[in-house]
Amino acid sequence: MIAEQIVNGVVLGSMYALVALGFTLVFGVLDKLNFALSELFMLGGFVVIASVGLGAPLWLAGILVLVVCGLLGLVVEFVSFRKFTSADAQVTAALSSLAVGLIMIDLVQKTWGGEPVSVPVPIEWRRANVAFFGMQIQVMKIVILAVTLVLMGVLHWLISRTAMGRNIRAVAESPTFATLLGIDVKRVNQQTFFIASALAGAGGLMFSLRNGIASSDIGFTFGLKALAIMAIGGMGDLRGAVLGGILVGVIESLAIQFGFGKLGEIIVWALMILVLLARPGGLFGAAHTTEQRA
Amino acid sequence: MSEPQLVVTDLHVAYGPIKALRGVTLHANEGQTVAVLGANGSGKTTLLRAISNMLARSQGSVRINGADTAGVPAHRLVREGLLHVPEGRGTIGRLSVRENLRLAYDLRPTRQSFEAALELVFARFPRMSERLGQLAGSLSGGEQQMLTLARAIVNRPRLLLVDEPSLGLSPVMVDEAFAVLREFQTSGMTILIVEQNVRKTLSFAHEGYILRQGQIVASGSGAELLRDPAILSHYLGAS
Repeated sequence: MIAEQIVNGVVLGSMYALVALGFTLVFGVLDKLNFALSELFMLGGFVVIASVGLGAPLWLAGILVLVVCGLLGLVVEFVSFRKFTSADAQVTAALSSLAVGLIMIDLVQKTWGGEPVSVPVPIEWRRANVAFFGMQIQVMKIVILAVTLVLMGVLHWLISRTAMGRNIRAVAESPTFATLLGIDVKRVNQQTFFIASALAGAGGLMFSLRNGIASSDIGFTFGLKALAIMAIGGMGDLRGAVLGGILVGVIESLAIQFGFGKLGEIIVWALMILVLLARPGGLFGAAHTTEQRA
Repeated sequence: MSEPQLVVTDLHVAYGPIKALRGVTLHANEGQTVAVLGANGSGKTTLLRAISNMLARSQGSVRINGADTAGVPAHRLVREGLLHVPEGRGTIGRLSVRENLRLAYDLRPTRQSFEAALELVFARFPRMSERLGQLAGSLSGGEQQMLTLARAIVNRPRLLLVDEPSLGLSPVMVDEAFAVLREFQTSGMTILIVEQNVRKTLSFAHEGYILRQGQIVASGSGAELLRDPAILSHYLGAS
């Protein structure tokens, strides 16, 4: 039973990790929080519902989630971040992105109503199990883990091996020096927002597939936990976001297993407070260095 | 030749109410080395930042290769052949030496392969080959300066702006940095250099300008300025 809960925890944690990766990518490059990512996560499930409703097969719906959420990320960048360059921007841009997220919730509720909407996945898909070391594991969970791993692998490759990733890392360290090296910082920002938003949307896609529903009110809590995970893992640290996400997912699942129930949530917040007290830079990364943007 | 490669005319730059540049006019012909000298706070760094469009000008014009640069994004100027080496070198510390050089190579891919470009760098800076996989941030100050100058070898700029290349370097490394700049000069690169090391700079610059409180107060050939101790001591406090 404990082993099964650990598997559940890893599945949950991988979804946290996808959203936390989005937060930490944007933070790494801009030193700003993009709260709209919480609602792009929420939107992931609804893009699936809309795509399948229009007749798309599930695999295509999955790709559409990445594209639609990525494009919405570009809108968020333009509306809430592009012009925010003053000293107050760390706060004002974050607030603006929060407002954009609230508008997304409103629009979803206008379209689908306030109640959870079921995701059109055949019930036998969600019920299918495979035996694995004596455990019964839902095939859906394996699919979720596999897709998440692929996405993380692609992200790692993009960031560490491609010219785009090199540019993203250069801008994350110093927008000024990056510009003097001929890098178009605006374009790098857009690329970062697209990737981060697509990842958040993918997290929402996985969440809706696992639960069989999409709900307009899940973004806020889930997003806050992803933020806590980013802090636990180290702001701007990609590896920290993944490891932190899995750590928190497993702790939460075990807390439920041992009968703490809702207390599992409190454990997450207590963990964040303790980690930040002991290691303000997060568990894994070196402290994120910020440059004075001149 | 129609007009000098770099023409700065009546350039004004202000940080809010503070006027950092108050009508600077200077030019650099193709292949020329031009030095701008001045004490701390005289506006030297501001001048370079304004030329590379990292700062908005409030008045005046900058023309590079005959085209006004007003409104051209800074990164595009770099792509068109302007290399601005800022104070603090401008290397990306969390990227490897190889990746730093690759950034320069990617700007204007030449017909030559990246590996061939690296060979040119190693020919001039043998030590770079040992440092290739290291993070640029782990290099010594002198090595970082070499990395910066190596970028100009990988991707040869038409106009090089250098801000205080001797800052924080040991005397040996200062000599080395100036030796490299002299090679760039000999190869016909146009260089605008800002320095506090007056004698070293003037002895290799063709033209010199003295900047004081955002204005050019004297100019002349490097040799002329070097021969005029009154100007030097008055404006720079140089010995």
